[in-house]
Amino acid sequence: MRPFVYERAEEARSAVAAVADRPDAMYLGGGTNLVDLMRLGVAEPARLVDVSRLPYDTVGVRPDGALRIGAAVRNSDLAAHPAVRRAHPLLAQALLAGASGQVRNMATVGGNLLQRTRCAYFQDITKPCNKRNPGSGCPAREGDHRNLAIIGHSEACVATHPSDMAVALAALDAVVHLEGRDGPRTLPLTELYRLPGDDPRRDTVLDPADLITEVTVPALSFGGRSHYRKVRDRASFAFAVVSVAAALDVAGGVVRDCRIAFGAIAPVPWRARRAEEALRGAPATEDAFAAAARAELGQARPLRDNAFKVPLARNLLVRTLTELVVA
Amino acid sequence: MTVAIGEPVRRVEARDKVTGGARYTEDVRAADTAYAALVGSAISAGRVRSIDARQAERAPGVLTVITHTNRPDFAAQPPTPYTAEGRMPLADDRIHYAGQYIAVVVAETQEQADHAATLVQADYQRTSPVPTLDAALPAAYIPRQNGLVRFPSEYRRGHAETALAASPVRLEQEYRTATLSHAPMEPSSTLAYWEGDRLTIYDSSQAVHTHRALVATAFGLPEDRVRMISSFVGGGFGNKSFAWPHVFIAPMAARVVRRPVRVTISRKQVFTGTGHMAATVQAVRLGADREGRLRALIHDSTNQTSFIDDRQEGAAGTTPYMYAIPDVYARMRVAKVSTGTGGAMRTPGDSAGAFALESALDELAYKIGMDPVELRRRNHADTDPVSGRPWSGKRLLACYEQAAERFGWDRRKAEPGSMRDGDDLVGYGMAGGQRMEHQSRARATVHLSDEGTAVIRSSTVEIGGGGLTTLSQVAAEGLGLPVGAVTFEHGDTDLPASSPTFGSLTSGSAGSAVRLAAQDALRAAIELAVGDRRSPLHGADPDDVVAHESGLRLRDRPDRAESYRELLRRNRVNSLRGDGDFQPAGETAGYAMATFGAHFTEVRINRHLPRVRVVRHVAAFSIGRVLNARTARNQAQGGIIMRLGAALMESQRPDPVSGRFISPALTDYHVPVNADIGEVDVLFVGEPDTNANPLGARGLGEISAVGICASVANAVYHATGRRVRSLPITPDKLL
Ligand SMILES: Cc1cc2nc3c(=O)[nH]c(=O)nc-3n(C[C@H](O)[C@H](O)[C@H](O)COP(=O)(O)OP(=O)(O)OC[C@H]3O[C@@H](n4cnc5c(N)ncnc54)[C@H](O)[C@@H]3O)c2cc1C
Ligand code: SF4
Repeated sequence: MRPFVYERAEEARSAVAAVADRPDAMYLGGGTNLVDLMRLGVAEPARLVDVSRLPYDTVGVRPDGALRIGAAVRNSDLAAHPAVRRAHPLLAQALLAGASGQVRNMATVGGNLLQRTRCAYFQDITKPCNKRNPGSGCPAREGDHRNLAIIGHSEACVATHPSDMAVALAALDAVVHLEGRDGPRTLPLTELYRLPGDDPRRDTVLDPADLITEVTVPALSFGGRSHYRKVRDRASFAFAVVSVAAALDVAGGVVRDCRIAFGAIAPVPWRARRAEEALRGAPATEDAFAAAARAELGQARPLRDNAFKVPLARNLLVRTLTELVVA
Repeated sequence: MTVAIGEPVRRVEARDKVTGGARYTEDVRAADTAYAALVGSAISAGRVRSIDARQAERAPGVLTVITHTNRPDFAAQPPTPYTAEGRMPLADDRIHYAGQYIAVVVAETQEQADHAATLVQADYQRTSPVPTLDAALPAAYIPRQNGLVRFPSEYRRGHAETALAASPVRLEQEYRTATLSHAPMEPSSTLAYWEGDRLTIYDSSQAVHTHRALVATAFGLPEDRVRMISSFVGGGFGNKSFAWPHVFIAPMAARVVRRPVRVTISRKQVFTGTGHMAATVQAVRLGADREGRLRALIHDSTNQTSFIDDRQEGAAGTTPYMYAIPDVYARMRVAKVSTGTGGAMRTPGDSAGAFALESALDELAYKIGMDPVELRRRNHADTDPVSGRPWSGKRLLACYEQAAERFGWDRRKAEPGSMRDGDDLVGYGMAGGQRMEHQSRARATVHLSDEGTAVIRSSTVEIGGGGLTTLSQVAAEGLGLPVGAVTFEHGDTDLPASSPTFGSLTSGSAGSAVRLAAQDALRAAIELAVGDRRSPLHGADPDDVVAHESGLRLRDRPDRAESYRELLRRNRVNSLRGDGDFQPAGETAGYAMATFGAHFTEVRINRHLPRVRVVRHVAAFSIGRVLNARTARNQAQGGIIMRLGAALMESQRPDPVSGRFISPALTDYHVPVNADIGEVDVLFVGEPDTNANPLGARGLGEISAVGICASVANAVYHATGRRVRSLPITPDKLL
């Protein structure tokens, strides 16, 4: 690990200033991803600015269920929050489906959103990788990509975004609040992430000095009827192979509205707008759910060894929606 | 209270372990210790053209950087397989696998060494690697030297090909097992220091006497100049059975810097630097008649090995011994892959082999419409089909019967896919398991003190299996003492040489040595008493005196008794020493020896999201005498859970281009977590098997991990109608 300087930020503006001036400085949240990457030699910051003690550590709740979540809130605290569990069960479930109790106690909301891909080649500095080392190539394409992307990927990079929480937030139309070089601004979460195209270096549209301060989640009248489901290779403590976050509003056997996002199939938390489109106004039946899945997954371009993710994602969506109808 | 063998005594070291009081190798401190970090090769095949260590040498705290260009010579290459690799570390510029050590950085602190290790620059000349077993398969061959495997590479009885061709029912399939990592909690650690030409080495070794001999050879020393100590091992599973390169690097580096040197391999190096269970491809061909009587069996296994060694995964080794089949051919080949040398991993050969053979038997059972238990019963080997000798204490039929009953096998509907519960497909599967029993010379002493306590002295190592507890029980029972009165000096070559703590040798071999030592100490106490005029036992026939309640008494006269304490104190004897030296009877025993098991598994699989859940597993074992019901159950559950991992999730996948392991980390190399484990029920059948050894116990650690994968795969077939012949059975294989 490269030696580094550690400093603790007292307030947002000074944190931004500390990183804006120095290209080799990075924010530190709970460190559960960044410190790992430093040990692997993948990230080599010379300065860490610890933002985990900034005063963005509370969850605010409006009477209609809308949330204002501080970026420094720990994943376990957010998952346990009564308002989250009541009004947005899919978010609580997504958080609890991630990592382990110990990791969730450390991990922050800001850090969770910006965690890097688990692509094995990205994490192994003896290997080329376009994301880590632009232009060096993508060994995952020919190599082991069983758990990489089937949709939204590019010739240059086939990595997936690993976060569970971000999938739920993508479905919930969350908005990310930032403090940047030019002051505060906001961004819909789905616009935070970018597809790799021919420049997979950056996972998001953020400038390195952009500090996530809060995430807001608008009220969703049918948020109580929502679910996050995750398929993984073991029962717990594993990244998703495929996951889905869904909320469903059904009246008289017809889908009035819905929110759907997939995880672990794309370089970004994948908001399934085509599926949503296909469902609105459709009967709440397994056939309609399957058609919605097809509408979304028809765009999938699986790799040599991950075609199984297409039927798995379809089944997962159909099961989740079916259960929401029954619930 | 006197404790009998078999009682569920709690582990004697449990309190120390949970309070942090137990001292593991990493906890040992020596003044002025320097720390080493090992630099691994970035490529998997080729040569090191040059190494630029200048930047590393200038880094803070660095004492030296050792490479193949400046290392001291080893005196000799000690023998494999207990020396894990047949090439000494840093021998030359050749690279055989990714992660092979190319440099050793020694510094004042571990952090400084780790940092400087990242600054070592190597320039490589790459050659094209052989990345996978599939790529290597065409060049597979029968190895000359076959390492640890105690079976010939080729075995023949009768004419299997001819008998197969003449069989009314035939089956031919190929089965695959993945490369597996031991993934113990404790990364291997070695602390070495020299005092003149005396070497002391603390090492997380499963076998101090075995490994000391290797270190002595490597450094050209007589064995008595080397002392090796292994206090507690934080998980072995075979990962610390062999001396891997770091064991030789620590003393070498200590010699260079003239200080104690500590080498603790990194978590990632646990996956590349201390072996694995090599992947196998196994072809099985079975011939039978319509009544399910097996006529011919061909089991042809090939495993990957490194370019350094021909290490066999003896997957077809036990096959000829398992069933009463007249015509059998078994063959074990290796194929060279650009990967590290495989090690011994619970259970060498048999875990992989049983997956193939016991899956094939299940396929045959369905093919002829017979219950898989009945198929096995019909082919039960009443005597050892290889030697013709009677088995010593084989109770496999009782294993089938009792486990089936406990499991509720009679509730099984034969038709695959016919048992359902909502969206869950329910499957019942079973398999058998067998492991040939090995024994090894083992010595121990027991000192009986005038406090009425005893000390066992023996170099056996506590690797988590409960050996300290069971051996304490053996001594306690032999001397009529409470277990709490027995202490144990263990894991040190200054103690009498026990058997290594691998190969399921502890119960049978180390246990027998302790038993003999306790008997010898008892004999000494009896002699003292019957010859002592002041003893109530004076003049008694020694054969009539027995150990009882921390002392002696006449068998038929409870009133003629005295405590060890009184006896020894009166005679001013501080302690009486008993010696135990167990020498296996081996070939002369007249019996064939093995351990046996039967497994029954219930799986549930959501038909839309087919991740296999093992909700229930029942196993029965025939292992002779059970020394401690609690530790035995615990040991068996551990073996079963370990193999449930191999069945469902564990795979150290090689990069298909370079052969480098894709997931050398616990985050990505999935072992079962608590939520994966259903009910695991364990039964023991049988009684003391004193043909095997004086204690009547056979090994459990290894047999407990044989047959599980097939039992799971067979249950998956029963649930889904899909036969998965390649492990692990991940959801993608069932979609
Ligand atoms: C063993 C293990 C298993 C895991 N399993 C899962 C899983 O199943 N599902 C899942 O979703 N995740 C999983 N994770 C990942 C885990 O969720 C993330 O590591 C964690 O959420 C990151 O949060 P952190 O606060 O520790 O971030 P850090 O590691 O501190 O930071 C991550 C990144 O975010 C940046 N950053 C941090 N805070 C801010 C901020 N306020 N503004 C701007 N940038 C910021 C950092 O500079 C860094 O680039 C696992 C992690 C581990 C170690
Ligand atoms: S998939 Fe992306 S992250 Fe992985 S190796 Fe290719 S470029 Fe790198």
